[in-house]
Amino acid sequence: MRTFIVILLCLCSTQAFSQYYKDYDWEKNPVLHQLSEQEADESSIAIIEKYIIEYYEPKLGGVIRKFETNHTITRVHDEKGIKMHNRVYIPMYNVKKIVDIKARTISPDGKVTLLNKDNIKEVKNVEEYGDFKIFAIEGAQKDSEIEVLYTLEKQYSAFGRQTLQQDYPIKTLEYHFISGDLEGQIKPYNTTGLFQKMTYNNRAGLKLILNDIVPMIEEEYSTSDANKTAIAYQCFGQEGVTEALLWNNVVSNISEGMFPSTPNKEIKKIVENILKDQKQDDFTKAYLIDDYVKKNFTVIKNNNEQLSDIDYILKNKSASDLGIIKVYGHFLTAAKVEYLPMITANVYQQRFDPEFFNPSSLREFLIYIPETGNYITPDRIEYRLSEIPFYILGNNAMYINNKLQYSFYKTKQSDPDYSRVIRNMNISFEDELEAVKIAQRQEYYGYWSITNRAVLNLSPDQSIKEFEDYLTGSGIEDKVVKSYSVENKDITQLEYNKPFIVNSEITSESLLEEAGDSYIFQVGKVIGTQSELYQETKRVNPILMQYPNHYDYEIVVTIPDGYNVEGLESLIIKKELLDEEGKQKCKFESNYTLEGNKLTIIIQEFYKVSEYDIAEYDTFRNVINAASDFNKAAILMNPKE
Amino acid sequence: MTASYIKFPYLILFLFVSIGFAQNGTSEDYQFLERNETINIKLRKGKFNIVKSIHEKAEYITANKLYFANEVLRFDSFTKLEDIEAVTNLPDGKSVEVDYIETKHEFDDGIFYSDQQTKNFTFPAVTKGAVTDLKYKEIISDPHFLGLFRFGTFAPTKKAQLTIEFPKNVQIGYREFHTENIPVNFTKEETKKSFIYRWSVENVSKFTGEEDAEAALYYLPHIIIHIKNYEEKGKTVPVLSNVTDLYSWYASLAKQVDENDLKKVYQIAEDIASKYNTDVEKAEAIYNWVQGNITYVAFEDGLGGFIPRGAASVCKNRYGDCKDMANLLYVMLNHIGIPSFRTWIGTRDRPYLYEEVPTPMVDNHMITATIIDNDTIFIDGTDSYVNFGMPSSFTQTKEALIGITPEKFVLMKVPKQPSDKSKAVINTTISFEDGKINAKEQRILTGYEKVDFVTDYLYKKKDNTEEEFLNTTLALGNNKTKYQNIEVSPLESQHKTLTVSYDLIIDNYVKTIGSKTILNLNIDRTLSKEKIDIKNRKYTKKIDHQFQKEYTTTFQIPAGYKVTSIPKPIKYDGKTYGFTISYEEKEGVIIQHKNIYVNSLRIEKEDFEAWNTFVKKLIKAYKKSIIIEK
Repeated sequence: MRTFIVILLCLCSTQAFSQYYKDYDWEKNPVLHQLSEQEADESSIAIIEKYIIEYYEPKLGGVIRKFETNHTITRVHDEKGIKMHNRVYIPMYNVKKIVDIKARTISPDGKVTLLNKDNIKEVKNVEEYGDFKIFAIEGAQKDSEIEVLYTLEKQYSAFGRQTLQQDYPIKTLEYHFISGDLEGQIKPYNTTGLFQKMTYNNRAGLKLILNDIVPMIEEEYSTSDANKTAIAYQCFGQEGVTEALLWNNVVSNISEGMFPSTPNKEIKKIVENILKDQKQDDFTKAYLIDDYVKKNFTVIKNNNEQLSDIDYILKNKSASDLGIIKVYGHFLTAAKVEYLPMITANVYQQRFDPEFFNPSSLREFLIYIPETGNYITPDRIEYRLSEIPFYILGNNAMYINNKLQYSFYKTKQSDPDYSRVIRNMNISFEDELEAVKIAQRQEYYGYWSITNRAVLNLSPDQSIKEFEDYLTGSGIEDKVVKSYSVENKDITQLEYNKPFIVNSEITSESLLEEAGDSYIFQVGKVIGTQSELYQETKRVNPILMQYPNHYDYEIVVTIPDGYNVEGLESLIIKKELLDEEGKQKCKFESNYTLEGNKLTIIIQEFYKVSEYDIAEYDTFRNVINAASDFNKAAILMNPKE
Repeated sequence: MTASYIKFPYLILFLFVSIGFAQNGTSEDYQFLERNETINIKLRKGKFNIVKSIHEKAEYITANKLYFANEVLRFDSFTKLEDIEAVTNLPDGKSVEVDYIETKHEFDDGIFYSDQQTKNFTFPAVTKGAVTDLKYKEIISDPHFLGLFRFGTFAPTKKAQLTIEFPKNVQIGYREFHTENIPVNFTKEETKKSFIYRWSVENVSKFTGEEDAEAALYYLPHIIIHIKNYEEKGKTVPVLSNVTDLYSWYASLAKQVDENDLKKVYQIAEDIASKYNTDVEKAEAIYNWVQGNITYVAFEDGLGGFIPRGAASVCKNRYGDCKDMANLLYVMLNHIGIPSFRTWIGTRDRPYLYEEVPTPMVDNHMITATIIDNDTIFIDGTDSYVNFGMPSSFTQTKEALIGITPEKFVLMKVPKQPSDKSKAVINTTISFEDGKINAKEQRILTGYEKVDFVTDYLYKKKDNTEEEFLNTTLALGNNKTKYQNIEVSPLESQHKTLTVSYDLIIDNYVKTIGSKTILNLNIDRTLSKEKIDIKNRKYTKKIDHQFQKEYTTTFQIPAGYKVTSIPKPIKYDGKTYGFTISYEEKEGVIIQHKNIYVNSLRIEKEDFEAWNTFVKKLIKAYKKSIIIEK
């Protein structure tokens, strides 16, 4: 009997020493935490957010086990705070077993309400996220603390990524990464905090502690989500796994079928057909192929594995985002166009890190056509062979060539003048100075034309109406549109960067304000509402514009007979941002000439690069806001005496 | 007058129809050749067996919108989907079948947990000229839910047909909506055992939404069918033949509410009530307690979506949806002797009257009606910032079904709230210095003006700073206006008014040209963007609530300046909406008085011209500046 007890104790203790999560628990008798005055002013604040990732290799061999523990205590101070935290969603993706889920609230008077586990609901197969366990926190009221603790055993996977920064402040964040004797590493992003070595029940691990994490602010011209504090980790069951091995593994996993040695016969026929009597350069060929595929295939996001099987795809004309690359592979091979599949992430969601392999950044699949410097974006129906989509521009990416070699490049635009807007306006006055008449022609190039065509071809009627309002001049509240027409509206435009053109004529009374016998003409308003970078607080994120841009406007105003103009100096604005060599990186410049009764205003604004450093923010803002300054410009028209 | 958006989700997301205009786009690319629905009703020993067979054929006129190939069919615990057959017929005569269907769940912002699921699939190989063919059966387990059939939808429909076949001992009721302009062909047939009713239409054009419009069901041609009763062994057994039947079904569900362990609930009610003397004060205090202590979380789980959770559990858990809060208020108020009643109601999104179609289609929300000093007061526990005594804005004008006893109910309209209950009083002092405007402003808000501001302030602000929020919401002066020293008074429903105050610095606003300085005192140009595009607008314009705005703007004439021009007073009285603006100069200041009122919840098409006249006159008045000279 005695031996039995001893053995039992030994078993217990080895167990207890091996897996850290088993010892981890919340306080038996919880009490409310002390908060500073400022902290007590927040709608909600996390007092602790703790993550424990534990890899564990059973002594007797077998598959590596992985446990994830998450423990949070959050103080909620008002209805908004309660609403933010009283609904809990726990993803069940890859979960083998739920070790435990528990939650409680501690009310301001110290009363504890424990979650009734029967109220945990299961939801299956939500969008592309898999299953969830969800529950509502019971007993949450103003000034109470909500505590949630759960441990999940997951299928072994060597990788993970976690965003740590939230929409609410966090007083203390702890990240524990326990890998024992297994080879593991973890990399923090967007923080100066560093992981420190620790032992957890005699097992090796790393710990990161961060204090007072502020919520990420959404700033204009920024990738604030991608700039949030995050970590990524790897943990392997074998030794000597290198980055190169991991990337090569990706190449061999996904490149299968992407470079067919002989193209599918049926596709070959189609290619012959669509390229017949067309120019034989790579741009034309790749463009026509892209157009054909977009009009005959659909990209689907679901769990149907057959969607990457080329035979199934060709029969059903439906493919996954990876499968569609194979389709393009056959088409481009048949047309003898060189191509490189490219993989990366949306730059607004995640920075692709070539130095630390992490499968969650392998989200966007594109095809690069080196001869033209352009890209095919298979899963975006509004795109045809073009510059890289703006939501990829500036991110690093992995390119794979037909020898199955990979390389990393930062994506950039090949044509610096790709996106331009040219506007010509003729302004006159009607009905004894009751109304202003504006005849306008606008030419949109590059990304502008892609967006405009996408909206006008694919949006619901209501959005199209709103967009037409924008195209004929935004912010002119009593505008009457006399005529409106567009040219080159179709998404398919074989000619390289063919502009999307708008011709319109509008009248407005509100642009003319009365001041005694004189009239104030709000000439600045004719360029439409301009964005104003309002932020007074310190800028947090570096600047990323969607894409480099160029605007050229000419506004010709015919001053009515019998009137003089005054106040033209408000039309002269010049703001610029120079690089180290004194060259303009971006600028706004407006000026005018007056000949007889003809006032000609010229505006030039450009942003040659899309990325700017935080240190350049103030100057950048001056350039951006200059357009908004011009928008306020007005001239006075006085009767001649 | 901010654009309307759903502030709070409602009781039931209806199962059979996706109400609302689909997000899909223009029609020329895609059309329905046929949309047929056949409802087959069988009755055996008092048990219904109801099967809807749906058949849809759609054509891709172009290859522009292949995304229509993604099909989503919804079902829940009241419905089962069976025998889904979907195939694409290609122009070359070949056809490809759908061989992969996934069952999914969706997260919904408003409803935390719903038993609604979807069957998702994509028609294969769609391209220009392809015709998709979809057939499936919907098994309906509860005879109260026959749903509705839409003659028109987001894409043009060549032919739509609804057929219902039912045994001769069953009576059905039906009512068409908005079919005045489309000829519906209705036929009745008779077989040995059953009747067959059929409605068919041809060439119905597509329907698209409009900004600030009423919900789709106000325009979309559709029909609602319901089982009235059946005869068995010489007796008539009611289902939904009139409002009485509907109410007795609701009452039977309400009977299932858990009424155990109410001690604590009673205790809270008593504690609150003991501090007050009159019934009004007591009821108001209880209402405010629920507003402040119960958070909105909605579950839709089978009939649980219709039966309120017990007051004890709601009180303990501190959360609930509309019916849970309505029931809690009902329990608490009755306990302290204030007669209160569970009340069913459709929000303004539902256009029906109970008598028209006595079915659960009419309502989607639950509130409490209480009677104090012979006044009926509608209390909505879900709209946390409405003051006691006012109904929630989105139930105004709607018919309420008030349950008096399990056998007795009353139908009563929720009154439209007069504009003087939702008021914004704005006091502004403006001075002019170094080419800039400095202003101090205070806004005192009541009623729905207050509710709207609070909701925006709490939920629209998101991660923006208060300054940025005010800059975009109030849009005073221009978009360079800076807001400083912002103060907002407490938001909760027990506070009758909300005061927001701040200082403004407005750059680039005043025009100084030569010796003249021109200044427009209308830094708030409310309603100036509300002109209706009469030529293109199809539907009435919805206004969320009636309101008044009263501005007093005092401009301090800077030293050394004299006033050389002041605008003349302007007035527009359009009966239901109008404004007055006047100016006075005295003792170194110019004072502008401006009053605007809107006494309507809807601008009908025939009133568009009048509305535009009002807005145009207002814009014209906003254009007038004062001039000062040195």
